[in-house]
Amino acid sequence: MTVEQLTIEFQQHRGQLQSFLLRITASIEDAEDIVQDTFIKAMNKLDTFRGESIIKTWFFTIASNLAKDNARAKKRWPENVTDICKGKAMTNQQFFEEAMTIRQTSPHGSFEIKEHITFCFACISKSLPLEQQICLFLKEVYEFGVKDIAEIIDNTEAMVKYYLHTGRSKMIKIFDGRCAIINKEGVCHQCTELNGIFNPHQKAQEELVKIDMHKEAEKGDKEHLFDLRMKIVQSIDPFNSPASALQLHHLQHNRQVMEDF
Amino acid sequence: MVTTIKATAQNTPATTVKTTFHRQTSVSIDIHADTKVIWALLTNAQDYPRWNTTITAIEGEIKLGKKIKLKSTLDTKRTFKLKVKKFEPAKQLSWGDGKGIRVYTLTDKGNGVVNFSMIEKIGGLMFPMYAKYIPSFDASFNTFANDLKKEAEMIMKTK
Repeated sequence: MTVEQLTIEFQQHRGQLQSFLLRITASIEDAEDIVQDTFIKAMNKLDTFRGESIIKTWFFTIASNLAKDNARAKKRWPENVTDICKGKAMTNQQFFEEAMTIRQTSPHGSFEIKEHITFCFACISKSLPLEQQICLFLKEVYEFGVKDIAEIIDNTEAMVKYYLHTGRSKMIKIFDGRCAIINKEGVCHQCTELNGIFNPHQKAQEELVKIDMHKEAEKGDKEHLFDLRMKIVQSIDPFNSPASALQLHHLQHNRQVMEDF
Repeated sequence: MVTTIKATAQNTPATTVKTTFHRQTSVSIDIHADTKVIWALLTNAQDYPRWNTTITAIEGEIKLGKKIKLKSTLDTKRTFKLKVKKFEPAKQLSWGDGKGIRVYTLTDKGNGVVNFSMIEKIGGLMFPMYAKYIPSFDASFNTFANDLKKEAEMIMKTK
């Protein structure tokens, strides 16, 4: 493979690598830095790529290894991170002023409940140990198989299964207890609360009924509800979606709160 | 000879042997899973209540020399303060206090089968005075072993 071919291939996977790294580090800057470092490392190691694995797997292997050394990726957040950050935001006038400016001026500043669900998942997934978080995203969002994930994280397929099973089980339990979209007793209503602030003319309930995960909630199939949540996460590019500017601002705020926590 | 001993230790429901100063309960079960997965389940303290119906909480890290606080359905009002005394990855783990010790042993039998055994020995000079107040561990041991088997085998089915 030539450098030109590598560059073309890398550009095709760049968006997915960047969103994966954003979800792992919760930092725009770190995600962009690691993407750059991944490309440089891939170029320097080009002669070692034998084509035995597909190139997407190779890029994600390099990116995951770099992420494992990243302090922000390694830092675990508490399960109730969104409660803690909400409390901080409520006393931070600057946060809301900046958000309102983004809302009014940015082409990516609209508020969408689905995008908040994606943002929320990224935050809460940081309560998992890093190996579990990486495996979960690779499988559920970036559609790698167990064998490829084992290659990416340099571990056995059995341990990948362990990380996937435990990570998924923990996320299901957390969302079942917290998320009011799927559980009437859920304690967290942030997506509809923020919809009220940023979309005061839009009725949150009318938006919710458009979301499959909400429509299916009464059936109580927790595994299925998690799959539907993952479909939402899969469908949204956190850097280029209609609400990306607003959600990235929100993510940066939460990361800052967690760094001071 | 070794083969015979292993073969007899396939699936042995919990049994208790009592003497004047000691009581020992043991259970053994074959699990169709990877040793590392079973080890990961046995050493991830915070994850226990998710899959193990006999343990309601473990605080602390399960690592050699570390202290843990364990809450069990055997006595819901009590917190057992234990020290990890042996930690030989994917082979043997033990924890205990001044009154007893619990030993977990994994034996790879090949062909994807691992024998899990759990033995707890409690006692001492004062044991006859409080022995009658300690409930039987048999049912709890069977549940523990079956929970571990169920969870490990379910993990191996992940696609």
